[in-house]
Amino acid sequence: MLKIIELKDNFIRFSVDNITPAIANSLRRTLINDIPKLAIENVIFHHGEIRDADGNVYDSSLPLFDEIVASRLGLVPLKTNINMNFRDNCSCGGKGCDLCTVTYSINKLGPGYVYSSDIVPVNNPELTPADPMIPIVELKKGQAMLVTCEAVMGLGKEHAKWQATSGVSYKYHRNFILNKNEIDNWKFFKEKCPKSVIKENDSEIVFTDDIPCNFLSQLFEIDNVKIEEDDTKFIFKFETDSSLKAIDVLSYAIKRIENRFSILMESLSD
Amino acid sequence: MIIPVRCFSCGKVIASDYVKFVEESKKIRNETGHEPTGEEKSKIMDNLGVDRYCCRRMILSNADLIDEVISYS
Repeated sequence: MLKIIELKDNFIRFSVDNITPAIANSLRRTLINDIPKLAIENVIFHHGEIRDADGNVYDSSLPLFDEIVASRLGLVPLKTNINMNFRDNCSCGGKGCDLCTVTYSINKLGPGYVYSSDIVPVNNPELTPADPMIPIVELKKGQAMLVTCEAVMGLGKEHAKWQATSGVSYKYHRNFILNKNEIDNWKFFKEKCPKSVIKENDSEIVFTDDIPCNFLSQLFEIDNVKIEEDDTKFIFKFETDSSLKAIDVLSYAIKRIENRFSILMESLSD
Repeated sequence: MIIPVRCFSCGKVIASDYVKFVEESKKIRNETGHEPTGEEKSKIMDNLGVDRYCCRRMILSNADLIDEVISYS
């Protein structure tokens, strides 16, 4: 059974019961590798003179190499509609259409930084960069940047720019069992970490570190604390780069695992 | 050169946090007149939600040299 412990827009902590470490790891790897996400793939730089509305002439050369700027543009998280097609199996046959490709343009005159908020979607106004404050490159006076980019869907196993999650990790559910007669300062821990108490009776008190509490690490150093780990219950946490919501990523990952296992079962039964 | 967009190890977007980190450091410099101490830097990063040490080293060890390169472009 899956239980959500903590949920923010781009962070989630949850527990899963009755699974093996192998299943837990396949969930972790799916969260890292197998979530489709939009990222800039093709970048076309305008080279030569760039003119503004008043007819002033700007230079198109940049302080960073074009390849580096293109790589940085690719790593910018873009808000994603998870139902968009991959280019390879889109109905347009890989040419690029509204169902599989989003076009962006940057038109920035120096001096100053080009930020990710300057990346403007052309045909799909809601798919803006998820983080507006990422510096891409700095322009000096008389320099300008005129760029068009194409973003496509991809998977984290191909390139890190398509990795929607970061810090995906899991641990066993863990119980700290304190005998009240042997350990005198159990009240200190109860007072400092009231949410971590899961069971209490006259003779013993049980803490868990499912919800993090800084004081619980002291329990490792006290003798006579019985520590029990349960290798069928896992506490997961991960964050997203705000291109997708954490809860959407999780529900997609579970569906994806189910789908892949059913493909395996089908091919085995043939 | 310029702050990398993502953390090399975990892939968290840290470039925008670096911009905020520099602003907060500047504030401390103006208010107290000294460079931010280790504790103050640690506090800024905690407030920004940069918890893992892989992301923290990206911010702490960055040398912003693009201003020196820019005059040769």
